Amino acid sequence: MSAPDATGSAKSQASAGGIGIANLPNQLHKIVTKKGTNFSLMVVGESGTGKTTFINTLLTTELIEPLDDASRRKKQLDKTVDINIHKAELEEKMFSVKLNVVDTPGFGDYVDNNDCWLPVVDFIENQYEQYLRQEQQPVRKGIVDMRVHACLYFIRPNGHTLKPLDVRAMKAIGARVNLIPIIAKADTLSPAALRQFKKRVMDVIDAQSIRIYQPPVDSEDENTMQRNKDIISAMPFAIIGSDREVKTADGRCVKGRLYPWGVAEVENDQHCDFKKLRSLLIRTHMLDLISTTEEVHYDKYRTTQMKTRKFGEPKLKKNDNKKFREEEEALRARFTEKVKLEENRFRQWEQRLIAERDRLNKDLEQEHNLVKQLESEIEAIANSGSPNGKFFRK
Amino acid sequence: MAPSAPSITSTMSARATTPRPSSYRCKSEKRGMIYNIMLVGQSGLGRRTFLNTLCEREVIPSAEAPNPDTANVADPMKFDTYEVNLEEDGTRISLSVIDAAGFGDGLDNTSCFKQLQDYIEAQFDEVLVEESRIKRNRRYRDHRLHALIYFIAPTGHSLRELDIELIRRLGEYVNIIPAIGRADSLTVEELQTFKQNVMRDIDFYKLPIYNFCWDESDSEALKENRDIMDFLPFSVVTCDEVLDNEYGLVRVRRYPWGTIEIDDESQCDFVLLRYILLNSHIADLINYTEEVLYENYRTKKLEVGGFAEGEGDDEDAEDDDDDDNVPQSARKPE
Repeated sequence: MSAPDATGSAKSQASAGGIGIANLPNQLHKIVTKKGTNFSLMVVGESGTGKTTFINTLLTTELIEPLDDASRRKKQLDKTVDINIHKAELEEKMFSVKLNVVDTPGFGDYVDNNDCWLPVVDFIENQYEQYLRQEQQPVRKGIVDMRVHACLYFIRPNGHTLKPLDVRAMKAIGARVNLIPIIAKADTLSPAALRQFKKRVMDVIDAQSIRIYQPPVDSEDENTMQRNKDIISAMPFAIIGSDREVKTADGRCVKGRLYPWGVAEVENDQHCDFKKLRSLLIRTHMLDLISTTEEVHYDKYRTTQMKTRKFGEPKLKKNDNKKFREEEEALRARFTEKVKLEENRFRQWEQRLIAERDRLNKDLEQEHNLVKQLESEIEAIANSGSPNGKFFRK
Repeated sequence: MAPSAPSITSTMSARATTPRPSSYRCKSEKRGMIYNIMLVGQSGLGRRTFLNTLCEREVIPSAEAPNPDTANVADPMKFDTYEVNLEEDGTRISLSVIDAAGFGDGLDNTSCFKQLQDYIEAQFDEVLVEESRIKRNRRYRDHRLHALIYFIAPTGHSLRELDIELIRRLGEYVNIIPAIGRADSLTVEELQTFKQNVMRDIDFYKLPIYNFCWDESDSEALKENRDIMDFLPFSVVTCDEVLDNEYGLVRVRRYPWGTIEIDDESQCDFVLLRYILLNSHIADLINYTEEVLYENYRTKKLEVGGFAEGEGDDEDAEDDDDDDNVPQSARKPE
């Protein structure tokens, strides 16, 4: 390892110590290990696609509890998309990760699913906004970073192609965050059907210009490069989720799904892509996901916002939502009506006052005239030679 | 009428001797019994493969590759009719299957229900008109729907808004038989739980699915029907390929972790559903449609009045002079 060039002089060969720059990665390692990291994962998809089970399988712990009947029925009635955040802290070999999992119950579950991705998109942008504002504060110590680092979109395995809902939602989400498409409940597609479905999904993603997360391929290590290539070629990932252990026909105890006709194993690469996805999310590409979010997506947001806003100004709320626009119109109409009413009232009042004033003025004039008259009479009497006049003569 | 069929023969033969209300049915023996069913469900739940598996041959060819450029727009709903002549235990059936493609696939599916309802009502109206003609068309084919198989998505939880709305709206016009499409994505436990949840939801929302026990006169059949209702909704797995092994030809679905035998009753309810549809309950379904559903519709339509020959539109309901429009033959059936 050579020391950096100093004003064109020859590079000095590595002496026994160098100046110690090579030790920087180790220092970074210590710092990061002490600090831990913060990772936010979002799961989006229709109910029943296995989102909850997947998260619980991934983290090997029941982070999200499944809903019971009564709450599900209530959810069916309110026709909204909720955003639920589950927090967990994972620790492995002295390294801790603060994990946030964002769940979106109600997405795509209703008869009319228009704009159901808007709450998701709004949430993502709000996290960027929060971070932006915190960064602009004088004291930046305790910044809470809830920016979403990866969004897993669960596609129903219908065997044909992406639905219009999937296309529109993925387009909107992929433009703002690292989007990773997943084929949910993949154990209902035969291997040939699965291959065909994957290809069709990727064709639609290309044709519709949906932006998905592309992990970097190049690496110094040949093995890693091959592994990365495998991961990319497996997208969208076909997932089977299971949080319980079952016994296979040949006696092994594995995490899987027990059918009368066999056991579909979660961690078997022949059965599904769970291991590849887990590797992508945690083992190999977590930091890349985090840095892409910060350097690409967040930066894009920041640039567009800063171009139009001054430093420290709050964000303009633009509501493209049709419903809100109608409400806004209605409110505005009511407001103008009220203003008109008040103005009329004031005008009438003013007129009444003017009329009153005129009347009073007239009275005043009358009195004035009367006084003048009396005065002139006094004058007359005073000027006439009558004996009474001397009372008035001064 | 239907000759004797195995097991639930008692009901069949009993019914065979009761004269049917519509006289044009008598010629059915030669052509085969007229039987119309409709398959409804979101795309990808196996409607088409179900039909192929049901008829044991490729009635509907598999769909061609969809165009990726138009994936962001939903295809409008369409009704494709397929005619198949079957022979089931000596009975000839002239089966007409209507595939309601495009249901529930769009962003906003509120118009799907009306389209289905309009279709079903149109078939009733046709018969209403036909019945009241002075000179009836001898070769008229009855298109009234005798059964609607609704494919529920195997979410594993419970019914979704789409499912609830469909059954609620159409239950009074047609016999709805709920089935679980792609049931091979549920383990044994999950399937049980899901079936229970669905039936609980059906009770809770009072959804009008076909009641197998509608005819209380035959107590033996009643018990069998109650047993059948324990299997509701029927789990459907469809055939991918036909294997030739030592037992002969077997219809299967193959996975890296195992092979499903479609005709094995312990693995899915396909065989049961097929038997109900084409064998044991075909007469029940047809009778219920004709005696109850159609009659109710007819009564409602004629009460409102203004029914003119050739149109079945409710919009003309204000019209009171239907005496001029409906021809001489009896307005009310016998």
